[in-house]
Amino acid sequence: MTILYHSGTFFIGIGLLFFLSGTVGLIRFPDIYTRLHALTKADNIGLGFVVCGLSLQSGNWAVIVKLLLIWLLVLIASSASCHLIASSGMEKKIKPWTRP
Amino acid sequence: MGNDSCSSTSTAWKILGRRIFFRLLIFSFLWYALAGSDKASWLLGVPAVLLVTAMSLWLASSSSLNIHLLAVFRFIPFFLHQSLRGGIDVMHRALSFQQLLDPGLVFYTTLLAEGSARILFVNCISLLPGTLSAELKGDQVTIHTLDQGMPVWANIQRLEYHVAALIGRTTGNKKSL
Repeated sequence: MTILYHSGTFFIGIGLLFFLSGTVGLIRFPDIYTRLHALTKADNIGLGFVVCGLSLQSGNWAVIVKLLLIWLLVLIASSASCHLIASSGMEKKIKPWTRP
Repeated sequence: MGNDSCSSTSTAWKILGRRIFFRLLIFSFLWYALAGSDKASWLLGVPAVLLVTAMSLWLASSSSLNIHLLAVFRFIPFFLHQSLRGGIDVMHRALSFQQLLDPGLVFYTTLLAEGSARILFVNCISLLPGTLSAELKGDQVTIHTLDQGMPVWANIQRLEYHVAALIGRTTGNKKSL
């Protein structure tokens, strides 16, 4: 039980690192498109690790199914909204930042 | 899509039966997971499951996709592995002291037919390492990449292959088309 609990904590820690790096990317990256990269990818995998960690700690299959469902719905919502933001950026003719 | 599988009415009924059966199974399982083992919850659960099954069939009636279960089990590890690589890639670029970005646009023509498969493909592009689907016009996908030095085309073709396998198709050889 404690092994499961501590490995769960470990997974949640990794997930938080991904969230942190996604936020750093959001601040540091130069334009709307590169910032979208940072947000969608880092947050999706970060949430995946948090869900994994919580599943290890929960010990109840119904909770695990609910957590996986939350992850799946967030994946769909974030990739769809990411595509919509990027395509509206393209429509408004926002030029992607390029290396000087 | 799917016209070839409707050659006779009996196979059409069989396919419809299978679709209803799988939906009932999945939605009942979801209800059980959400509501718990209390039997009284099925008082609401049964109508909800039936309603959702009907709605799902109605909304997806235009695309009679035949999902291949074996391909789904092959798609999930591929998807997880690519998501992990994408996350690590972004983490590396965000936290590095040097400027590691060399963004640019890549244009790709997909062979996937219009409908669910193409939408799944476009949504999954954003989870591959270094790529983001910026625009979809017909079969033309505009992809934004974080680093033009990455093998964007190879990655996307592999994703396209996996998505095509989900519905029992193959992308085949691109040059022959």
